[in-house]
Amino acid sequence: MSALLSAKNLSLSFGGVHAVRDISFDVEQGEVFSIIGPNGAGKTSIFNLISRLYNADSGDIVFAGESIISQPAHRIASLGIARTFQNTELFEHETVLNNMLIGRHVHRCSNLFSELLFLHSVRKQELEFRRIVEDVIDLLDLQSHRNQVIGSLPYGVRKMVEVARALCIQPKLLLLDEPSSGLNPEETEDVSFWIEDISRDYGATIIMVEHDMNLVSRSSDRVLAIADGAFVALGTPSEIQNHPDVQRAYLGD
Amino acid sequence: MRFILKTHYQQDIDVFKHNGQRFWFGLLALLVIVAPLFIDTFYLGELSLVYIYAIAGIGLMLLVGHTGLVSLGHAAFLAIGAYAHAWFIGKGWPLPLSILLAGLLSAAAGAMVGRPTLRMTGIYLAIATLAFAHIVEQIIAHWEPVTGGFRGQLVPDAVFMGFDLSRGIPFYYLCLFVVVLCLLAALNLLRSPTGRSMVAIRDSEISAQSMGIDLARTKTIAFAVSAGFTGVAGALFAHKLGYLAPDAFTMLTSIQLLLMVVVGGLGSMHGVFYGAIFIVVLPQFIAIMRDTLPTAIGQLPGLEPGLFGLILVLFLIFEPLGIYGRWLKVKQFFDEFPLYRKATHKRQKSYLRTERLR
Ligand SMILES: Nc1ncnc2c1ncn2[C@@H]1O[C@H](COP(=O)(O)OP(=O)(O)OP(=O)(O)O)[C@@H](O)[C@H]1O
Ligand SMILES: [Mg+2]
Repeated sequence: MSALLSAKNLSLSFGGVHAVRDISFDVEQGEVFSIIGPNGAGKTSIFNLISRLYNADSGDIVFAGESIISQPAHRIASLGIARTFQNTELFEHETVLNNMLIGRHVHRCSNLFSELLFLHSVRKQELEFRRIVEDVIDLLDLQSHRNQVIGSLPYGVRKMVEVARALCIQPKLLLLDEPSSGLNPEETEDVSFWIEDISRDYGATIIMVEHDMNLVSRSSDRVLAIADGAFVALGTPSEIQNHPDVQRAYLGD
Repeated sequence: MRFILKTHYQQDIDVFKHNGQRFWFGLLALLVIVAPLFIDTFYLGELSLVYIYAIAGIGLMLLVGHTGLVSLGHAAFLAIGAYAHAWFIGKGWPLPLSILLAGLLSAAAGAMVGRPTLRMTGIYLAIATLAFAHIVEQIIAHWEPVTGGFRGQLVPDAVFMGFDLSRGIPFYYLCLFVVVLCLLAALNLLRSPTGRSMVAIRDSEISAQSMGIDLARTKTIAFAVSAGFTGVAGALFAHKLGYLAPDAFTMLTSIQLLLMVVVGGLGSMHGVFYGAIFIVVLPQFIAIMRDTLPTAIGQLPGLEPGLFGLILVLFLIFEPLGIYGRWLKVKQFFDEFPLYRKATHKRQKSYLRTERLR
């Protein structure tokens, strides 16, 4: 079986800062793959490279057998890659429902003219969208927040809404950037449960950036450790936790 | 308190969410339909003007309030609509077709402006649209065979199936009919994927992109649709003016249009109508003020634009959600009666971003 996503010799720098240096990894279909590393290691940068918000200086990214390194950012979602952001990037002034409906954007069949007239086909599509959105709402227990505006929600709920919005794309690959940051221990506990649910019910492959080692070891199949933009180690959670190079990277020499 | 029990997704999708709304809007519809029986010609004309501004406002609201792109050049689209319409009916084309074509032509111009200005936001975009409006003004002034140049031109009467609709009560109903159509179209757009993607761009471009929204395409559509509505307003405006000359479509008009959407309340179609009433009443108010103030101030040449600008700034600072936002707060107070807290609206901030660095 070939990998769902493979990063090949990715490099990225900002002026003098090498955010990512020659990173390569393969993510298999159906696995939960974690990326760990100290602050500023380049984890978010790797996500931004995959979602094409940043242009790599060199290297290639192959998704489902196709190179996506020169695709425009807005094509990535329709290929089946969804993501969340470290500090949440929601549509602040909209309701939870509308945020999630945006997730259906790539699946729309309507055009401007049918929408201006709100033809029957558009209404049918809206109903269809809502059915899918409702399933995700059920999965992530967001019923009580359905019609609330994002601006009025607590941080923990916003994080969930972002995951929900990404799931509405029905992605093949889900990128989660620090899903547990800013959550209380109880909510963090829940994260590992819904990660399990997502990978089971939606059959989505998950790449997760995470600092909480408990969560990482509980949820992930494999872990990639990086530091200063460079590869440190790759292996199962327990291998990585006991790896001397990883410990050195976290503690400093 | 009021709770709305939803039993079907259709209720989320429908224009009217509950029977209360149906009742009040039905009453309003009845009022505006019988209005000509009760009010005299002058006020009927003013009310027609409110509708015309509201049509342009719907267009500008979609761009500024919903997509978050500022335009200081919408007078140009009003002008394109007006001149195109005058030209088409002058050639003897049927009225509805002519209005539609005026809108489409203006939409095409909008797409043309939208395209090259995609990478601009905030103040740069405002300046680019300002420049565009200036170019259109110059073209109108110098393309004499079509526009009549500085001298201007008479607008042919709007005759449809033997009826003259260009003034008085028939014109009132024409404007009412068109504004209702435009409003429905805009509301339809906003409850569809394209409308949602416009709002998404306003709130977070990065996130919108990652959700599969093509920024360039959506912004171009927003510009085109916005210009299209404003062009339709221009067609009706031509009849309202009766005589077209370049000085009817200056920067002052653009600012007036922007004032309308800001004062009304960015991001809401209700706001468009509050704003339209406001900018129709304001000049009357200024005229009365001029008479009562001492001559030195009253006859100041820049009084009108100055006041427009001042009001715009004051609203942006103190009530960014405009008259409609104020109304919502009052309504919420009664809806949630014992529970309302002053802090409920603390988070609200303006949609107009001058800059977005990411
Ligand atoms: N847009 C940017 N412009 C300049 N430098 C950047 C940019 N994005 C990231 N960097 C730099 O690249 C390096 C890696 O950043 P990145 O955000 O990928 O780290 P991270 O591993 O996600 O860290 P954290 O755990 O704090 O989220 C940092 O030194 C950061 O300052
Ligand atoms: Mg990060």
